[in-house]
Amino acid sequence: MEDIHIQGSKDVYIQPTVDFEVATGRCSISGESFLEETAKFYSPMVEWIKAYSRFGKNIDFTFSLTYFNTSTSKWILTILAELKKLEGQGVAVNVVWHYHEDDVDMRDDISDYMADTGLKIDLVPFNE
Amino acid sequence: MEKRDDKYDFSLYEYHNLLHQNILVSYKGPIDERIMTVIGENIEIVTNDGNDKARTKIFKIFMELAQNVWLYSAESCKTISGKQLGMGTLVIGEFGNYYTFVTGNVVKNTDIEPVIEKCEIINSLDRDSLREYRREQRRLANQGKPNSGNIGLIQVALTAESPLDIELTPVSDEESFFSIAVKIKKTNCK
Repeated sequence: MEDIHIQGSKDVYIQPTVDFEVATGRCSISGESFLEETAKFYSPMVEWIKAYSRFGKNIDFTFSLTYFNTSTSKWILTILAELKKLEGQGVAVNVVWHYHEDDVDMRDDISDYMADTGLKIDLVPFNE
Repeated sequence: MEKRDDKYDFSLYEYHNLLHQNILVSYKGPIDERIMTVIGENIEIVTNDGNDKARTKIFKIFMELAQNVWLYSAESCKTISGKQLGMGTLVIGEFGNYYTFVTGNVVKNTDIEPVIEKCEIINSLDRDSLREYRREQRRLANQGKPNSGNIGLIQVALTAESPLDIELTPVSDEESFFSIAVKIKKTNCK
């Protein structure tokens, strides 16, 4: 099992920065997400979380996504559902989401993800 | 000056004047990710009046609606590499205390009925019910259930905090021109 490191970019498509570390269990997805092949981009992360479950170690997941389109939103739900499964297996799962304090839409969306998955997400507002 | 019969009878000046008042950006033609990137950047520039919240909302709405034109327009063209691009029109205007964003494209009459039904459902719901509807549709989409599309339209209504003004104008027995307009009130974005 290997780490995932993807540098975010903003060219024709918008790709978030992704860092998943096996050794520490620290994972983060930050930036914006509007991709050509959303499934190809996010499915390795879902597989990574599934594979990580065999370690039984803690996982600290940080989202700092400030924009994502609807096709990305379905994959976020899948990732959170996998994290919830991990929690169900006895793994300590901490999820934090940094959002702009004025972005009420984002705050609502994160709350809805919590309701959908039953996973607690710490909402951390920031103000640039 | 004698009028020539073969003169192209189109006044760009009149067209410019028609668009000039209140219209910040307008585009007609094929839409793909490259066009979206360029227009998206333009929108961010012309709506940069210090109201970051409104600018963000317009950008999000643009990304969803322009993508619908690109992927679902019945009028399309092919690039040299064979990629299919939807054709359509989009206009963003500023009227006093609100922005409007309108997209339009030709649709097959047989395809558009479920979309109109979805828009009517969306317009009948308040914010909390819309959020519930989005959750339900997203769940169904993740389970691969059919008829779970149009999450983007729910997202647009939630982001705009206003109904989807839809209009369907028949252009032939099989096709119509379908447009969606939304208002983004600046006062909601303070």
